[in-house]
Amino acid sequence: MLLGDECGAHTFPYLEVKNAESTVEHEATTSKIGEDQLFYCRQRGISEEDAISMIVNGFCKEVLRELPMEFAVEAQALLGVSLEGSVG
Amino acid sequence: MMLEIRNLHANAGDTPILKGIDLDVAAGEVHAIMGPNGSGKSTLGNVLAGRPGYTITDGEARFEGKPLEGLEPEERAREGIFLAFQYPVEIPGVSNNYFLKASLNAIRRHRGLDELDAIDFLAFVREKMKIVEMPEDLMNRPVNVGFSGGEKKRNEILQMLLLEPKLCILDETDSGLDIDALRTVAGGVNALRSPERAMLMITHYQRLLDYIVPDHVHVLSDGRIVRSGGKELALELEERGYGWLTGEPERVGAS
Repeated sequence: MLLGDECGAHTFPYLEVKNAESTVEHEATTSKIGEDQLFYCRQRGISEEDAISMIVNGFCKEVLRELPMEFAVEAQALLGVSLEGSVG
Repeated sequence: MMLEIRNLHANAGDTPILKGIDLDVAAGEVHAIMGPNGSGKSTLGNVLAGRPGYTITDGEARFEGKPLEGLEPEERAREGIFLAFQYPVEIPGVSNNYFLKASLNAIRRHRGLDELDAIDFLAFVREKMKIVEMPEDLMNRPVNVGFSGGEKKRNEILQMLLLEPKLCILDETDSGLDIDALRTVAGGVNALRSPERAMLMITHYQRLLDYIVPDHVHVLSDGRIVRSGGKELALELEERGYGWLTGEPERVGAS
């Protein structure tokens, strides 16, 4: 997750393959918080800031659930920081 | 007058879509906006709700006397404008229950009412769920994720029942509904009809209007209202199509 408008993400695909007959692919995607999701929340009276935090929390929930408790607590606290101006 | 639209011109992105709309909607009235695809029906709903990317280029729209231009979407929602989406949006990881409670409490705060706690909210939402025959398990699932077309539209009407808006804009609420779901959804909308509330129903087909009978019908074509009438106009459209009002492009070119 990228917070702030002066950061970016770069991926360097690197695949080590020892089987000469295999076919492999690498894929990475990034997405912005959906404009449609944001508008949907705001149309229901929820402020932009609250909507961003709700959408990001929802997005991360599935991942956090898999983390050991101490990480999950920390990650949850990190999500509580101001998300205004997040880029993706 | 609840909603006054004067010479409204608006763009979707950079494309001019609305080219001079005049429309008055008073409290208690139900207006149907009909018209062929691409005539600007959904744009009108989006402009009124303040969707980013839709801009007013000329004219104005006033809600309860105040210009809408410059108001954020959430401010419009809190003032009482509700848009039932043509394509309700999925929000993974956020339970429907949580979302609806956050929405209702944001609106209640604005109205100077106490926020509902989880127990009071549940009692309130259950009462409304009965009206749209909404299964209870949909409240615990993420917002609209994996909902059928009918369930999504029911969820829109459920939100409308909860928030009790002043102006309800229904964007193609009938699309993708079978006849039973259409009846249920229409029942929810009719339950909200009241002298204090106005409705703007955007629809391509007449069939929704069999269940929610409008006071006025307007036909939109190329960003303008080309004909207004009573509910009988919708029946005439069903019979004759839109061609006689919009003018077939070929005929215009030939004359």
